[in-house]
Amino acid sequence: MEEWIVFRVLSLVFTWPVLTAMVVGILLGILVGALPGLTATMGVALLIPLTIGMDPAPAILMLMAIYGAAIYGGSIPAILLHTPGTPAAAATALDGYPLALQGKAASTLCVVTLTSTIGGLISGFALLLLAPPLSVWALKFGPPEYFLLACFGLTALASLASGSMLKGLIAGAFGLLLGSVGVDIMTGFARYHFGLVVLIGGLPLIPVLIGLFALSEVLMISETAHDKKPSSLFVKGWGILSALSDIIKDKMNVLRSSIIGIIVGVLPGTGADIASWIAYGEARRFSKHPERFGKGAIGGVIASEVANNAATAATMVPALTLGIPGGAAAAVILGALLIQGLRPGRELFTVHAEMTYTVMVGFIFAKIFMGIIGLLIVPHMAHITRVPRGIVAPLVVALCVVGSFAIAYQMYDVWIMLIFGLLGYLMRKFGFPPAATVLGLILGPIAELGLRQSLVLGEGALLAYFFGRPISVVLMALIIISLLLPLIRRKRIGQSSEPGIGAIIE
Amino acid sequence: MKQKILLIPLVLLIALSLVAVGCPVPVDPVEPVPDPYPTRPITLIVSFAAGGGTDIGARLLVPHVEALLGQPITVINVTGGGGWVGWTRLATAAPDGYTIGYLNTPAIQVGYLNPELANPHNLESFSAIVNHVFDIGIIAVRADSPFMTMEELIDYAVQHPRKLSFTTTGAMGDDHLRLLAIEAAVPGAEFKAVHGRGAADSIALVLGGHTDILAINVGEVVGLARDGEVRVLAVSDLERSPFLPDVPTLYELGFGPIVNYSARGIGAPAGVPRHILEKLAEAFKRGMMHPEHVAAMEKVGLALKPILLDEYYQFLKDEEIMIKKLLGW
Repeated sequence: MEEWIVFRVLSLVFTWPVLTAMVVGILLGILVGALPGLTATMGVALLIPLTIGMDPAPAILMLMAIYGAAIYGGSIPAILLHTPGTPAAAATALDGYPLALQGKAASTLCVVTLTSTIGGLISGFALLLLAPPLSVWALKFGPPEYFLLACFGLTALASLASGSMLKGLIAGAFGLLLGSVGVDIMTGFARYHFGLVVLIGGLPLIPVLIGLFALSEVLMISETAHDKKPSSLFVKGWGILSALSDIIKDKMNVLRSSIIGIIVGVLPGTGADIASWIAYGEARRFSKHPERFGKGAIGGVIASEVANNAATAATMVPALTLGIPGGAAAAVILGALLIQGLRPGRELFTVHAEMTYTVMVGFIFAKIFMGIIGLLIVPHMAHITRVPRGIVAPLVVALCVVGSFAIAYQMYDVWIMLIFGLLGYLMRKFGFPPAATVLGLILGPIAELGLRQSLVLGEGALLAYFFGRPISVVLMALIIISLLLPLIRRKRIGQSSEPGIGAIIE
Repeated sequence: MKQKILLIPLVLLIALSLVAVGCPVPVDPVEPVPDPYPTRPITLIVSFAAGGGTDIGARLLVPHVEALLGQPITVINVTGGGGWVGWTRLATAAPDGYTIGYLNTPAIQVGYLNPELANPHNLESFSAIVNHVFDIGIIAVRADSPFMTMEELIDYAVQHPRKLSFTTTGAMGDDHLRLLAIEAAVPGAEFKAVHGRGAADSIALVLGGHTDILAINVGEVVGLARDGEVRVLAVSDLERSPFLPDVPTLYELGFGPIVNYSARGIGAPAGVPRHILEKLAEAFKRGMMHPEHVAAMEKVGLALKPILLDEYYQFLKDEEIMIKKLLGW
């Protein structure tokens, strides 16, 4: 019986409609992901009308292939232009771009292609083999756990402050402040909206991200645009073998980042972007050379890309089993499932088991195809780094404006992008890391929601509420360890260049 | 002959400018020129993200309406501000029938009634065309909850005020309004309101055992109820939902006429000529009744409820009155 279903599913995957849907999804996904402003979620949503007339298996598989490939595609401009194509690629830019500046664009893209594939494959297997237990486990995360998880993510701020710890914390706190803009979830009170309707729902993340990362970088490189040198060195040649050896050397990082990606992906309400930040922070914490992070450490790129891709299929775990999407893109795919007349839940694994397993097995093959297609195309894009800065800079500006406008066809987003572009430029000039602000903006609202809900639920006995929950206690311990670790290390080694929290306390 | 054809846009232009300056349109008993509307593509604003409930409903409906109007309808998602970025765009668009949009109840009324937001618009900023979806609210608990009926739940809430947590999909959303309506109907019953960011959040909280009561809509609970994950105790309507025929209404349980739902339909800026509104209402209504659309919505568990023009406006107005009462504005 078991073997029968394996053969049956494989024969369903290897049919023309399914294979075509996969390849189309991969190509479109890479494209959508690589264009800033068009996120993975939007790419999936835009394609939904196309899937209405299709059979369920190829339809859902195409959408999942787009999602996975877009998360991968987002890293291409992040590395080449310091312009994250999707929010999930922001952490990739931190080390990917410096690597490109050192002339290693092609080999970094090769590493990214392989790590994205590995992360995606691990995620695909987790979905196929562990969906029911993982979804039960994910539900154990309640408001206190989300609050603490966000706090744990915020401890990564220490990894982003490359110069002064204090400036890193200020930039992070600024991000938290930005995250508080908009309607208060518990009372409906509108905060810091200055009478602007756009701000009532909170600051839109993508224009802020494009401004802080991409536009500010354009302003930075414009300072030296008059010399007609190409924007960076270009080292010819890239080898799959050398990329593979980079990855194998960092296998613990790959393993850790996949686990982080799957855990964060499975949780409803957090997705690939948060996974990549947490994995990046942990990679730095465990690294033997944390001082290299932010200046071109391949480990940072590996962590971010493994984790955000590992989150992709994982976000579908609670979506398929319970109808609770693990992230925004999964929510859209869930919508497509409903359009197909398929309700998430048990029936997907009983009545429609054939379709469900075809999708899950298909996703694994889609990841393999994505890796092959990626290796054939993407490293060649490194040639972009040979274009002189004077030409690249205006092109990126155009991309920033179009990307911000495309989110909702409104000028507000373009203005927000421009303001944050200027702000990001000034921040970098004065040594404040914009990445810390982005981290605060992403995690702030999640921490707030968790804390505010906990305060209502733990009414009268808050400490007992937090300490009576095992996962919550583990997370608290993790936070304390991660804050104290740099201090302890400092004591042991005596002198360290690592800027830890201790730098402030002293 | 050519001259005559040119007359049509001329007459139309004059008529439209007259409407625009607020003059009464001279009533011509015999309409000599049939209105060619629509002659170019129509933009449909969805105030929520692509792939959400409103967006999916819109994209499922639009093809059938396009076929009837003979012009393409472009769906654009203008998000933010709890929907009001899109609705502001709709309210301020040219009232020519070429910009229409989804109006979501109760978010739209809450957005202009909330004194905090000082919203310059209100219901009069819009023309009502036709309601599309009518999704009734429900009250449910996790399958292993000790509460088997609504009465047991309420009795407990009266005896133990602020003991049970009531999960809503957002402060001042329809599920929060339902909580307020129940508390108003049963003196002494008090719940801890836990607000989230949407149905997915609420479901995760209740299934995880973090909160006690799930308040979402029929379309969102049908699958969970069928899988036996939750027990639906009541629906907030005067009659039972065809999707949940065994679940009693709050009305039949003696809570009074509590009707609580999330609804969405098509509107336009105020001042769109009546005949264009009628043409759109007719096309959208026929599109909704298309067997393919009916089947698609049934699969999703969403009830179609076309309410036309003035009646739809009144429907939106009634909701406004109810919200004002419940939130004390």
